[in-house]
Amino acid sequence: MRGPLAMDSIYLFGLASRHNQWLAVRQATIAGNIANANTPGFKALDTQPFEDVLQSTALAMRATRPTHLAPTQRNVSVTEVGADQGWETSHSGNTISLDQELLKAGEVNRSFALNANILKAFHRMLLMSVKG
Amino acid sequence: MTDPLEVTLKVAASGLHAQSRRLTVVSQNLANAEATGKTPGADPYRRQTISFNSEFDEVMGANLVRVESIDLDTAPFRIEHNPGHPAADANGYVKLPNVNMLVEMADMREANRSYLANLQVIKQAREMISMTIDLLRST
Repeated sequence: MRGPLAMDSIYLFGLASRHNQWLAVRQATIAGNIANANTPGFKALDTQPFEDVLQSTALAMRATRPTHLAPTQRNVSVTEVGADQGWETSHSGNTISLDQELLKAGEVNRSFALNANILKAFHRMLLMSVKG
Repeated sequence: MTDPLEVTLKVAASGLHAQSRRLTVVSQNLANAEATGKTPGADPYRRQTISFNSEFDEVMGANLVRVESIDLDTAPFRIEHNPGHPAADANGYVKLPNVNMLVEMADMREANRSYLANLQVIKQAREMISMTIDLLRST
């Protein structure tokens, strides 16, 4: 994947799309939290930080036969949020705060937009050099 | 079907469904808040309660929410002295439903708020999907 372009050396496209992938998983986790905001005893979940995902070198299982089921884990582990990080715990033991989850969702959306726009800008630069 | 953004939409949709079922139960309770029995001493409408449970979907790898059960509230009925009522017992007491307006209104507001939160998630996920698709558009 190494080309003569300077953009490849900083691995921009790969990094931005990996970050977006991680953000999408985080958004799915937040959606699960919000959907279960009124489920008794449900504990808030969050994905591991992106730095950890980048640094970990998890080996993916390989499907050697077409009938194998694809593994569902996407190399991003989802863990329960510690009691010190949650904003509130309701009487039923549910640790989801809607405000906190919506805040996180907004954050995810903003980062996603940032990555998409960076990708778009660099893509435009590539196109400019191709088209002349 | 393991694209996380599609999973997001599915999960939020399960939340919408659960909250709307909850709102249905609230509306039944409110509508029947004064529904007494017909024969002397008969039981009136009994308040319904709804409970949710989270369900881990192994294909999607996400926690969906589903309505576990709709039960009857076992709280005692309100009792009112009204001898002229058709449902009054021998002593003139009428049993009224165990529906508390204040509790139902609070429940309704909470269901509304959770529904809105799920809608917001769907909106954001759709924005993210269209941002990704827009990358294909060459300007």
